[in-house]
Amino acid sequence: MEIIKFNKKIYNKKAIERAITEFEKLASFSINELNDYFEVRIDKIDQEVQNILKDEFANYVLGVMS
Amino acid sequence: MFNNKNFNFKIDTKTGSLEFKINTKIYSLPAIYQTAYLFLDKVYIFLDGEPQKEIIVIMKAKENAKNKDLSSLAKEFYNELLNQLLREKVSQTNAKIREYIVAQALYHAVPNEVDKLLQEVEEEDWQTDPLGITKTWEVSYAEASASAEATADRSEAKEKKKKAKKGGKG
Repeated sequence: MEIIKFNKKIYNKKAIERAITEFEKLASFSINELNDYFEVRIDKIDQEVQNILKDEFANYVLGVMS
Repeated sequence: MFNNKNFNFKIDTKTGSLEFKINTKIYSLPAIYQTAYLFLDKVYIFLDGEPQKEIIVIMKAKENAKNKDLSSLAKEFYNELLNQLLREKVSQTNAKIREYIVAQALYHAVPNEVDKLLQEVEEEDWQTDPLGITKTWEVSYAEASASAEATADRSEAKEKKKKAKKGGKG
């Protein structure tokens, strides 16, 4: 399981949700709001992308933000 | 001597990542987003921090990346950041003139009511004179008297024919 904490003042929820819809075939995702952060939990990650999924996901969210 | 404390990179050897801070009083958040976007194909980027004070940029090399020298990429990031900031300033400065040019282009692209009326007037055959308004009095009078004479001649000729017929019968 992986956890990514996105700062609410920098990332928006819509961008995270859009990234989840794009990545949902590779893992299962859930979002929780914790104080100033959106906490994204990633489970059941496809083994082929296990090493890079977390970073690629964060990159994708940033790409949507831009 | 040049000494800038904001130009410090922190390298984490465990994760293989590099971290540096950007002062948001100098560089705007949209400029940071735009710069980060341009580097997404080279490195993994994650942003954190307090947008009102400073943004923390965490860079991580991609496994298949040719250039894994993160510190040089971070320096390039700063250069690009300056470039994006300049673009933003130029865009703000030229905003009004850009809007004006677009408005002018759209205005001329769509035909308006005045243009339609002008086109109708141009298409009208205003040079012909079906009522003879442009003719002088003399011309009009001469034509009228000539036509009156012609009718008088014709009626006179008819009278003569009638008389001749009557004379023939008698």
